[in-house]
Amino acid sequence: MTRRMKGALAVLVALVGTAVLVSAALAGSTATPGVTKTTITIGGTFPLTGPAALYGVIPKAENAYFQYVNAHGGVNGRKIVFKVYDDQYNPANTVPLTKKLVEQDKVFAVYGSLGTAPTLATRDYLNHKGVPQVLVATGDSYWGAQYKKYPWTIGFQPDYPGESRVYGQFIAAKVPQAKIGILMQDDAYGQNYYDGLIQGLGDAKSKIVDVEKYDATQTDVSQQVVKLKAAGANVFALFALPTQTIDALVVATKVGWKPVTFINNVSASPLFMGLAVKSGANVDGDISATYLYDVINNPNTAIAKQYKSILSTYDKGADPNDANNVYGVASAWTLVQALRQAGSSPTRSGLMKELTTFNKVVNPFLYPGVTLQTTPVERYPIDQQILEHWQNGAFHPFGHIFSHAR
Amino acid sequence: MSRSTALGLGATLVVALVIVLLSFTLSDYNLSTGATVGVFFIAILSLNIVTGYTGQISIGQGAFMAFGGYTTAILTHNHGWNDLATLPIAALVGFAAGLVVGLPALRLHGVYLALTTFAVALAVPQLAKNYSGFTGGTEGLALPTHSGAWLYRTAWVIAGIMFVLSWLLLRGRTGRAFRAVRDSEIAAASSGVALPIYKTLAFGLSAAMAAVAGSVYVLVINFVNPDVFGLSLSLYILIGVVVGGLGSLWGVIVGAAFVELLPIALTDSHISSSQSVPVIFGVVVIVVMAVVPLGAADLLRRLLQFGSSSRESVKSPLGTEAR
Repeated sequence: MTRRMKGALAVLVALVGTAVLVSAALAGSTATPGVTKTTITIGGTFPLTGPAALYGVIPKAENAYFQYVNAHGGVNGRKIVFKVYDDQYNPANTVPLTKKLVEQDKVFAVYGSLGTAPTLATRDYLNHKGVPQVLVATGDSYWGAQYKKYPWTIGFQPDYPGESRVYGQFIAAKVPQAKIGILMQDDAYGQNYYDGLIQGLGDAKSKIVDVEKYDATQTDVSQQVVKLKAAGANVFALFALPTQTIDALVVATKVGWKPVTFINNVSASPLFMGLAVKSGANVDGDISATYLYDVINNPNTAIAKQYKSILSTYDKGADPNDANNVYGVASAWTLVQALRQAGSSPTRSGLMKELTTFNKVVNPFLYPGVTLQTTPVERYPIDQQILEHWQNGAFHPFGHIFSHAR
Repeated sequence: MSRSTALGLGATLVVALVIVLLSFTLSDYNLSTGATVGVFFIAILSLNIVTGYTGQISIGQGAFMAFGGYTTAILTHNHGWNDLATLPIAALVGFAAGLVVGLPALRLHGVYLALTTFAVALAVPQLAKNYSGFTGGTEGLALPTHSGAWLYRTAWVIAGIMFVLSWLLLRGRTGRAFRAVRDSEIAAASSGVALPIYKTLAFGLSAAMAAVAGSVYVLVINFVNPDVFGLSLSLYILIGVVVGGLGSLWGVIVGAAFVELLPIALTDSHISSSQSVPVIFGVVVIVVMAVVPLGAADLLRRLLQFGSSSRESVKSPLGTEAR
């Protein structure tokens, strides 16, 4: 062997050795995607623009909480990197953007993605890939109910049937002379609420005097409201989207009908209530349900102050009284808690394990007494709610905390 | 073979070769993006038939895609069909829908026809919302998932077939009749072109092709709900055909790449900058229109014919003439 050949051989061996080392190093770092020594990368899709842009504040509040955690040492020494894409609430955008999060951004988990259809559109893909799809921002019951088929998907907020079970329980217990009239959207959304109400009412379901339905594209529900009044209803269960809810409240006032009114959480935001009032509706005393910390009535507690300082430091211009911001911080707190519990070398399955074994964990940004409670077969993180009624331009919680009592 | 035919053939072969080569080099994620470019290719091609070649402005192409997309989704989700087997049915459904929408085109012209098709684009997603038992409503229907490589090959094979079919259609008697209708309806009628037949035929064929695009689209996103076929989809296709060049077959690829890839290139995961994407996209469209009003195909044509004396006059259906 000539000296030259020996030299070439040495170079070759060195190259191969380096390649092996590099690939070993790469393999080591990709063992858990999205996790490095200093960071955990997560991501989600949200309607930052488009028809549902109202919810675009949520990822900003979530990011504010992550920034706050990062500034205070991070999660087990790692800083959270939160990638946010705008899907405009259109599944045709959600699907490619979610693939981008997984395959290009290599996120550890898809977190907080907003909307029922966007979540339905991506859960096959994410479960197929074994990527956690956690704390999705939608109240459908699928995430908890279909965990066997979709073990990597879990929701956060109370589901629609659980919420209306609370209304049913309250009506059965507190409104003995109830004659119940229901206005519901004629699709799976409305049916979810209807089914929950029936369960909550129990024997009191015989007190239903009329059920009126409307098609999802119909914005004028005055006929249905008038029929409910004519049927003699003195309890009005309103399971609609915001537009139809506002219309129904205005029409009810115009025709001089003032039943005990229940408005589902989706449509009962102060913004929509304010719009109804502006259009002439009398909404005083109308009832909805909440599970979030009541910042408006408790502005000076330690938690309220911490919440406001997080927003004013990391999400400038955010309205602290917007419940969407409380929602975002409470949701982000939940993820951080699960990541902390997952330990110093978090894995995807470890994250799912922590999220499905919350044992009455106190989340300070939820209503005091409402805790995070899950088991591997009971995957509804928030299963308690308190009723609230509208007075003096705001919702005020009252009474005791209801359990969804599945 | 004339010089322009040879150039066109050469360019087509080069583009086809690039598409084939990309299928071996791109990552799975980029392949599924490439598949969406293929979907827009078919959709823009379909609009080019009715608007670019026949001069009937349609803003409702997204609605025809919805017919195809829902046909595929309902047959696979509710009736267990193989997804590719649904494509011919989707084309037939689209053809029928196109004929119906084409009927107003016999009486309406220009902006009035455009507004009619605009109404169709708005109405069809609402119909899907209303008949939720059949279409899944806003919660939609999920379809089987496929790998990016499968989607890429499927989309581009179908796009290739559609391209060849369009070329065969437009180079012959029918294509001449379409162009005659575009350039002057009176002259076309006096020369024996049956306006009602060719106008509705253009709508029907265009809608059939759009429906195929819609079918492939739902395969790529493995999901369908009314928001997928919203107004913005129709507008993106219109932008694609205008950017690529009206009345040009191979400007289509430029238009398709433009509408699919530019928003992706602009998309940023940073929370505060995401909202600027639609604005930047809009500004780019305005600039392109101001600089190259007849699209990328015209720009290339002008570059290729630079110095040559045989300049072809191109007439757009909007009435602007360029040389």
